[in-house]
Amino acid sequence: MLKKFITYFLPLYALMVVAVCNAQTTTIEFNNYRIENVSKPDSGLLKLLMPYTDSVHKSMNTVIGFSINGLIKKQPESNLGNFMADCMKLMAEKKFEQKVDIAFINYGGIRSYIPKGEISVGKIYELMPFDNLIVLQKLSGKILQQFLDKMAGRDGWPVSGLTMSIKNKKAIYVLIDHKPLDENATYMVANSDYIANGGDDCEMLRGIPKINMGYLYRDALIEYIVSLSKQGKTIDAKTDNRIVYAN
Amino acid sequence: MRIDRRKFIRQSSWAGAALFASSVLPNTVFAENAFDHITILHTNDTHSQLEPFPMDGSRYAGLGGVAERATVIQQIRAENTNVLLLDAGDIFQGTPYFNLYKGEPEIKAMSMMQYDAATMGNHDFDAGIENFATQIKHANFPIIICNYNFSNTAMDNKFIPYKIFQKGKLKIGVLGVGIELKGLVAENLYEKTVYQEPIECANKTAELLRKNNCDLIICLSHLGDKYSENKVSDEILAKECFDIDLIIGGHTHKFFDSPKVYRNQRGGDTVVNQVGWGGIELGRLDYSLARSEKKKVFKTQTVVIGKKTRE
Repeated sequence: MLKKFITYFLPLYALMVVAVCNAQTTTIEFNNYRIENVSKPDSGLLKLLMPYTDSVHKSMNTVIGFSINGLIKKQPESNLGNFMADCMKLMAEKKFEQKVDIAFINYGGIRSYIPKGEISVGKIYELMPFDNLIVLQKLSGKILQQFLDKMAGRDGWPVSGLTMSIKNKKAIYVLIDHKPLDENATYMVANSDYIANGGDDCEMLRGIPKINMGYLYRDALIEYIVSLSKQGKTIDAKTDNRIVYAN
Repeated sequence: MRIDRRKFIRQSSWAGAALFASSVLPNTVFAENAFDHITILHTNDTHSQLEPFPMDGSRYAGLGGVAERATVIQQIRAENTNVLLLDAGDIFQGTPYFNLYKGEPEIKAMSMMQYDAATMGNHDFDAGIENFATQIKHANFPIIICNYNFSNTAMDNKFIPYKIFQKGKLKIGVLGVGIELKGLVAENLYEKTVYQEPIECANKTAELLRKNNCDLIICLSHLGDKYSENKVSDEILAKECFDIDLIIGGHTHKFFDSPKVYRNQRGGDTVVNQVGWGGIELGRLDYSLARSEKKKVFKTQTVVIGKKTRE
C-alpha cells in the first residue's frame, strides 16, 4: 500500500505542489464592446468637445475655391485626375524645393468628385479621406518603365509631367518633358507614401529611398486651391491626351 | 473561440490540478481560497475620431465617439472596483480635429475619461515630436514607452518606461513599446528619437516589474499584431517574452474576435488583444487571479479564456 502510494501518488502530489507554486491558472473573461446605441453620451465630454466641434464644422464649410466645371475621375485620363496630379507636382516642387519630373495619383485613392461651383474644405476631405503623404523617390528609367507598365495594366492612373500610350497593358511612346523615356536616366518622381511603400501591388517601388517631409497630399490640395483663389483664378481642369489607348 | 484542442486540454488539466490541489493541500497555499479581480479596458488607434462615425451609410456609420465611450466606461467602473483604462497609441490623425487642433481635444478627452496610461504610435509624431510633447501637458495620465530614447528631443522627461499600479491587493505593472520609425515617419517629425530593439527592452523592463512582485504585467504595444514578412510584432513579442502576461496591441487596426494566446519563453501563456481602430470598440478583459500567499518571482500563468456576456 505504502509502495503503491510512493509510486503513484507521491510524484503526482509533488507535481501538483510545483504546479501550484510556479504556475497558476488565470481565468479571463473578455468582450470587445462595440460602441453603439449609447443612449446617453457623457455630458461632460460633449461639453468639452462643443467648441472644437463647432469650429471644425465651420472650417469644413469654408469655401476655398471655385471650379468652372464639374470634375470627375475616369480612366485612362480625366479632368479631375489631371487637376490632382498637376497639383501634386507643383506643390511637391514648392515644398521639397527641388525639380520634380513626374507626379502620380493612385486612382483608387480618389474617393469623390469636385462639383461645379464653390469648393469647401469638407469636399476636399471627401475627395482625399486618407492621410497619404507626398514622398519623392529617385527612380531609374528602368524602374519607372516597370511602374508605368503596372499602371497601364490597370487602365491608367492620373499623371503630371509625362505622356504615354497604353497597348496590350503596357506603357509605350513614353515622353517625359517631351523626351523619350531613357532607361539609364534617373527621374525624380512624386507618389503617395502608400504607393512608394509598395502598396497596390507596386512592389518595384518598395525599398527605394524616399524623401519624406510629412506633407499630407490633402493639405497640398487645400493649399493649392487657396493659392489659386488668392491669385483670382478659378479651377479650369481639362483632359489633354496625357494617356491614350494606342490601336 | 480560437483555442486549439491541445491547448484546451492543457488548460483543463492545469485547471483540474489546481482544483484538486486546492482540495487536498493545506490552506497555506490557497489561503482565503479567493481570487483577485481586475478589469482591463483598452483602445488603440483611435485616430482623432472624437465624434461617432458620420451617418453616411458607410461601414462604421454611427459607431464610436468619445462621449459614447465615456458612458460605457463609467458603467463598467460603477460595477467594478479594480479597473485600468489603457491605450496602445495612434491617438492622433484621421479627422479634421487633428488638422485644426493638433491633438489637444483628443488628449483632453482621454484625461476626462480617466485613462490610466497610453503608449505612442507612429501617427502621434504627425505634427512633430515637439507638438506631442506640448499636447501631453493636457494629459493627467502617463505616456509609457521603454524602447524609444528621447534624450535629445522635446519628449525628454515627459514619458516613463513603466508604471506600477496598485489596484486593491493587486500590483499591475504596465510597460510600453513602439514601432520602428525610420521609413514610417518623416525624420523631421521624430527628430532625434532613437528606436531600440523592442523585445530586448520589453523583456528587461518586464523582468524588473516581476522582481517588484507585480501580479500582472501588461505591455502596451504599437508594433502591430503580425506580419507576413519577418518584422517584429506582438506575435513575436508574445513568443519571445518571459514575464509579460498581456499585450494590448495596435497599429494593424485588427478587430480580434477573441484574444490570442501564445506560449512564452517560460512555458506560460501570453495573451494578445487588439480592438480595430477609431474607437469603434472598447476592449474588456476581466482577470480572476488566484490569490497565493507565497509570491514567486518567476511565476507562469496558464489562461482559460471565456466570452463575457454583456450586461
